[in-house]
Amino acid sequence: MPILQVEGLRKVFGEGALAVTALEAIDFTVKKGELMALLGPSGSGKSTLLLCLSLILEPTAGRIIINNKEIYNNGWTNVDARRFRRENIGFIFQGHNLIPFLTTLDNVALVMTLNGVREGDARKKGMEILEYLEIAHRADFYPSFLSGGEQQRVAIARAIANEPALIFADEPTASLDTERGFKVMGLLKRIAKEKGSGVITVTHDHRMIDGFDTVYELMDGRFVK
Amino acid sequence: MDLAIKDISRHVGKFIATILGVGLLLTIVFIMNGIYRGIIADGIWLIENTDTDLWVVERGRGGPFNEQSRVRMDMYKSVQATPGVMQAGPFIVYAVQREIAGRSQQFSIVGYDIAIGLGKPGRIIEGRQITAFHYEMVADKKLGLQLGDTVRLGVHDYRVVGITKGAVDSGGNPLIYLALPDAQEVLYQMDNQAIYASRAASLQRLLNAGLSQADAERMLPLVSAPVDTISAVLVRLRPGEDAQLVKDHIAKWLYLSVFSSDDEKNLMLEGRVKRISIVLGTFRVLLLVVSIVIVALIVYVLTIEKIKSIATLKLIGASNWVIVRLILEQTLMLTISSFLFGYTMAALLKASERFPRTLYFLTFDTITIFLIMLVGGILASGLAVWHALKAPPALALGG
Ligand SMILES: Nc1ncnc2c1ncn2[C@@H]1O[C@H](COP(=O)(O)OP(=O)(O)O)[C@@H](O)[C@H]1O
Ligand SMILES: [Mg+2]
Repeated sequence: MPILQVEGLRKVFGEGALAVTALEAIDFTVKKGELMALLGPSGSGKSTLLLCLSLILEPTAGRIIINNKEIYNNGWTNVDARRFRRENIGFIFQGHNLIPFLTTLDNVALVMTLNGVREGDARKKGMEILEYLEIAHRADFYPSFLSGGEQQRVAIARAIANEPALIFADEPTASLDTERGFKVMGLLKRIAKEKGSGVITVTHDHRMIDGFDTVYELMDGRFVK
Repeated sequence: MDLAIKDISRHVGKFIATILGVGLLLTIVFIMNGIYRGIIADGIWLIENTDTDLWVVERGRGGPFNEQSRVRMDMYKSVQATPGVMQAGPFIVYAVQREIAGRSQQFSIVGYDIAIGLGKPGRIIEGRQITAFHYEMVADKKLGLQLGDTVRLGVHDYRVVGITKGAVDSGGNPLIYLALPDAQEVLYQMDNQAIYASRAASLQRLLNAGLSQADAERMLPLVSAPVDTISAVLVRLRPGEDAQLVKDHIAKWLYLSVFSSDDEKNLMLEGRVKRISIVLGTFRVLLLVVSIVIVALIVYVLTIEKIKSIATLKLIGASNWVIVRLILEQTLMLTISSFLFGYTMAALLKASERFPRTLYFLTFDTITIFLIMLVGGILASGLAVWHALKAPPALALGG
C-alpha cells in the first residue's frame, strides 16, 4: 500500500515575468519500505520537491497524500504542519542542521521528546540509535566538534529516531568521499528494509543508486524517466 | 529537555555578565528605594514617637521640625489652663554638631520636662529614663555611647543613663534627650569667653547709641537674649475631648499655631520628604526601565544569534510553545537571577551598617520591584518572541 501519493504537483517561485517553475506535473507513489532515488542536475527541483512533501514549502497546485491523510489539495488541508512533520517525516537536510547547543545525544533525543517521549526513554533509545549508526562514541560531543561525516550520521540518527513513515534525504552523500557515501547509502537501504519506512534519497551521483527500488530523474522540474 | 538551560550553558559568560550588570542596577534601585523609605521613616519618627496629642508652636510657623519655632517658656502653663487639656509640657528640639565619642557628630537634642514626662523617649533598650533634674542624658545607640559615659556639652558634663535604638531626628541623625533646663542651657548658654565677648559687643552697641558708660552697664541685662524659650508645647487631651475645639481655642486665645500629630506628619511628608521622593522616584523608575531594556536586549541578541537553530526546531517539528518557552525561560532566568543578586547585594549593604543613611526595605516594595522586573522582562522579550515565531523554517536551509 502506498505511503506517499503525489498527483500533478506543481511549484512556481515568484510571479509574472520573474516566475520560475521549479516543479511541473509530478506524479509518483512510494510504498512502505520502498527506497526511491531522485536524480537530476543541480537546479532541477529535487530539494524543492522534498520541501513540498515535508510541508516546509507550499506547492502551487496538485495533491499530496501521506499515510492515507490528504495534506495538500491545491492548498494545505487542515493539518498542523509541525506536528505532522515530527510525527511522520524524518528529514536529512543538505546542511545537516544539527542544533549547535545540543550534544549529539541531545540532538537525537530532542525529536523524540518533542513527540512526547519521556526524556530518560528518549536518551536510552537515542543511545541505541547512535550505536546502530556506529557514532555512540560521540554522544556527548557538540556538533562543532564533529567531522562532516559524523554530523551526517547524527542527522540520520535524528531523522530515524521517531521511526517516521517517510524519510527524506537531500544529497546525504554530497559532503562525503565515495567510500563514506556508499556507506551512508547502505545505511539508508538498511533503514528502509529494517524499519519499514519509505525513503526518498536525492543524489546527483549515478553510482550511488545501486539497489534502489525505484529511480526517478528530474530535469527542469519534470520527471524524465 | 530544557533547551533554555542547554543554550545558556554555552553562553555562561554573557549570561553572568548580564546578571551582574542588571543585578547591580537593581541594587541601586533597592538602595534608592531604601533611602526613600528611610527618609519617610526618619522624617516622622520623632513625631510618631512623641507621646502627645497636639503640638503648639509659634504663631504662623510650621514648626517645630520644618522651621524654627520659638514659644515663651511660660506659655505651657497657659496651654495647660485651656479647657479640654489634661496635661501640657514644654518641648525643645534643635540640631547641633559636636564632638561625641571621639568624633564630630551631627545629632539633635530633645529637651522635655521630666516631671511632666511629655516628650520623653519612648523605648529605652538599656538603662533608664532621666530622673535627676540635671546632668543626665538618654542617648541613641548610633552615637556610640555606653551607659555611664560622660559627655561634655557646652560647659557641663552629662552622664548617659539610658540608651535608645533608632531614635532619630527628621534628618536621620541620632537624638540625645536632656532635661529641659539642661537642653536650654546647651542651646543658649555659651562658655565664659563667649559670654564675655557677647557682653562686650552689647555694651559697645549701647555706647554707640550715645549712652554713658554707667547707663550702658545698667542697661546691659535688659538687652541680653532671653533664654527661656522652647520649641513647642506638647498637649495631652482629656479623654473624649474634641481636638478641633481645643486647637481653635489655643489658636484664638493664646495666639499660637496648633497641629495634631497627623498634621505634623503631613507637613513633613508634603514638605521636605516630597521633593526628595520625587527625585528618588524618578531615578528608581529610570533604572528599572534601563534594567528591563538591558534584559530585553540580551534576550533579543541571544534569540537572533540562534535564529537558525529556532528555524531548525521548526523544521524538525517543534511547536511554537517549545520556542516561546525557550525564550521566556531565558528571560525569567535573567530577571530572577538579576533580582536575587541585586537584592542580596542591597541586603548585605544594609546589614553591614556602613551605609550613612537609614535604609528601609519594605516587603511590599521588594515584591513590587520583583513584579515590575518580571512583567517588564516578559513584555520586553516579546520582540524576541515575535521575531522567533516569524522566522520561516526554510531559513535554516539557506547558507
Ligand atoms: N526560494 C526560492 N525562490 C526562487 N527560486 C527558487 C527558490 N528555491 C529554489 N528555486 C529555484 O527552483 C529551482 C529548483 O531548485 P532546487 O529545488 O534547489 O534544485 P536542486 O535541489 O535540484 O538543485 C531552481 O531554478 C532554483 O533557482
Ligand atoms: Mg538541492
